[in-house]
Amino acid sequence: MMRDEPARRLPMALSALVALALSVMPLPAPVDAFRPDFLVLVVFYWSIESPRTGGLALAFASGLALDVIRGVVLGQHALALTLMAAWATNLRLRLRVFSVLSQSLTIFALLTGYQFVLFWIDGATGNPVTTFSRWLAPVIGACIWPLLAGLMSRVDDR
Amino acid sequence: MVAFRSTETSGRTTGLLLRCVLYCLLALGLIIFDKRYDHLGDLRRFLSVVVVPVQIAVASPFQGWDWFRESVSSRETLRADKAKLEAELRLANFRLQRYEALEAESQRLRALRENTAGVSNRFVIGNIMDLDIDAFRERVLVDKGARDGVFVGQAVLDSGGVFGQVARVGELTSEVILVSDGTHAIPVQINRNGLRTIAVGTGDMTRLKLPYLSTSADVTAGDLLVTSGLGGGFPAGYPVGTIIGVKRDPAQSLAEVEVRPAAALDRSREVMFVWLTPEARATLSAPPPASVPQPAAAPPQGRRSAAAPAQQNGAPTK
Repeated sequence: MMRDEPARRLPMALSALVALALSVMPLPAPVDAFRPDFLVLVVFYWSIESPRTGGLALAFASGLALDVIRGVVLGQHALALTLMAAWATNLRLRLRVFSVLSQSLTIFALLTGYQFVLFWIDGATGNPVTTFSRWLAPVIGACIWPLLAGLMSRVDDR
Repeated sequence: MVAFRSTETSGRTTGLLLRCVLYCLLALGLIIFDKRYDHLGDLRRFLSVVVVPVQIAVASPFQGWDWFRESVSSRETLRADKAKLEAELRLANFRLQRYEALEAESQRLRALRENTAGVSNRFVIGNIMDLDIDAFRERVLVDKGARDGVFVGQAVLDSGGVFGQVARVGELTSEVILVSDGTHAIPVQINRNGLRTIAVGTGDMTRLKLPYLSTSADVTAGDLLVTSGLGGGFPAGYPVGTIIGVKRDPAQSLAEVEVRPAAALDRSREVMFVWLTPEARATLSAPPPASVPQPAAAPPQGRRSAAAPAQQNGAPTK
């Protein structure tokens, strides 16, 4: 199912916007701690699925949007997302033939790396956030990855 | 197994490393310029306008639901609300009767002491946007920005008391850091005896703490904390919270004091931005500690609590 590049840009941008909305949507406090990084997962999906169209540019732009919305130092999420999207792109041929479990584990590693870069920049810029809950997001993200990726490829096929 | 159908294969992502390095350098450059040199204010302002549609799109369904619930609420509910509000208004009016006279008297006394701390001349109401901007920090987004004259460090109140201060200003929106944020500190005074100290956030919206009070300090549960006006950020005399617990461990030199914030940090929908009068600002920006009003009844206090307001200035301790 080969498609030309511009045709892929629209679903890419739309899914990123939806994920951005999901990541700032107000949730009741008990559920809030379990919110996965939707936008990061979507960027990973596109880095694996069609790195040439979106890839790093999408990762950088999404990261910048997160920086502005979360009000942290500009470039923090952009750096973390770019690094991890590049890693995902590098791994993508292997990821495609992995079993669900191995895929989820790889995504877990990528998400943890993402959180680690954020954590490090938080500390370097003097705003350390040391709550344990920040390391919960990678676990949740890895758990919902099969669902999310399945859903996205289903929708993308239409 | 997730099916990836794309036919893009490895040969096509040549230059991945190069592009990755370029984007990372760009991001690092942004971080350094934003943090170290603070040159990116305009870029951030522009970007913050770009994301406003997303923020409005997310917040509006929730606001729409509130509106819907309000419009279909029953007559009985409305009558009950009306009765409650009338009772509150009556009470507020009783309290206000002497206010004018007291305000004038306070102004006269302040003029005598050449101290205009806590005089504010302008208020603007802002609505809190229903967004969760950061799971780990206590911040909210308010729909007033640079266009309305909001500035960084500005005091923000709600109907109960001090809510927080402005941390970042966009063109149309601004980010307010709550008094309960773990990095926020505010100079306060105990209303009963004038003891000055600093209230620090805990990261929990229902609690603040006073970490700089010695075990011998004269504080008890139920004491009201008000802003002291030191540091120049906040107008003086607004309620910050009520002390709910004091733990004195003889082995420690400092007491553990817990405070319940006066503002409804987790429930407020509307907040108020405050502008101090220029004279008040001038007085407050260079406050010699000796000229600070020092109630005669103030008990001896540790050096720490006297020195701390000057160091911390009530700003987020970044």
